[in-house]
Amino acid sequence: MSILLDVTKELFGMFVADLRLAVGVLCLVALVALVVDYIGIAPLAGGAILLIGSLVIVIEATIRSARDS
Amino acid sequence: MLTGSWGSIAPAIGSAFLASTVEIVEAFTIILAVATLRGWKPAGIGTLAALSVLALIVVALGPLLDLVPLHGLQLVIGILLLLFGLGWLRKAMLRAAGVMALHDEAAIFERERREIGEEAARKMVSADWIAGLAAFKAVLLEGLEVVFIVIAVGAGRGLLLPAAIGALAACVAVLLVGVMIHKPLARVPENTLKFVVGVMLSSFGVFWTGEGLGVPWPGADLSLLGLVAIFLITGLATASLIKTTRMKTT
Repeated sequence: MSILLDVTKELFGMFVADLRLAVGVLCLVALVALVVDYIGIAPLAGGAILLIGSLVIVIEATIRSARDS
Repeated sequence: MLTGSWGSIAPAIGSAFLASTVEIVEAFTIILAVATLRGWKPAGIGTLAALSVLALIVVALGPLLDLVPLHGLQLVIGILLLLFGLGWLRKAMLRAAGVMALHDEAAIFERERREIGEEAARKMVSADWIAGLAAFKAVLLEGLEVVFIVIAVGAGRGLLLPAAIGALAACVAVLLVGVMIHKPLARVPENTLKFVVGVMLSSFGVFWTGEGLGVPWPGADLSLLGLVAIFLITGLATASLIKTTRMKTT
């Protein structure tokens, strides 16, 4: 049981080490899907939003962690 | 047989090699701690048992990948890679900025040896059993990450074989060096590796997620190199900015 629990914790921790970062990534992907599929902006512009959004999310998460430490 | 352009094959092999090196070094440190404390028998049995479980997982889940439509697979893997890669990059930037302590294999080695002895005494069971279990858990947990990395960088565009070759090469390299020096691999520049891997996995994450959403990246696979450069520059600049700001405030 302890091993299963450790494996589950490890897998969860792999993807959700920082909850705000994880939620931010999921919201960003949903936003890009929305603007490309439903609003109809050029897919390449969607790619640019994805890239810039990812950079903003990781910079914010890092600066926040540094400030809180 | 390797098919595809070197623009996609080289990053797949490189990322799988570097990321797997980090994971295998971590597992090797614990195996070595177990072996020096209780001998190679429990370390070997624990390692082999974990490798068998990993092989079962790969054999059971591997064929399912073929059943998932390519765009769906790219999107799911891309999102998982974004979560994994950005998280790894964040930690690497914090370490580079001096906010988070650097990974120290020698300290982990000593801590693991101490914990095995304490746990055996506390639970009143054979120290060999605890030692074997520690090796099993280390190989299983780090191995699962290696399996994910191979699937993540390889499955999106039929690059499972190059990614697996990268991971296998890392395994052989770490074992060869480890057997030769017979000490924790403290000199592996693990923190630098983690920075590079964070950059590469984040780049793959943006690339695959974009592909899954129908983004026609300019230059196709070659745009991966551009993404790597952008994440690398951003990572270094952010770490440097945090370091400078902290130095000014202290």
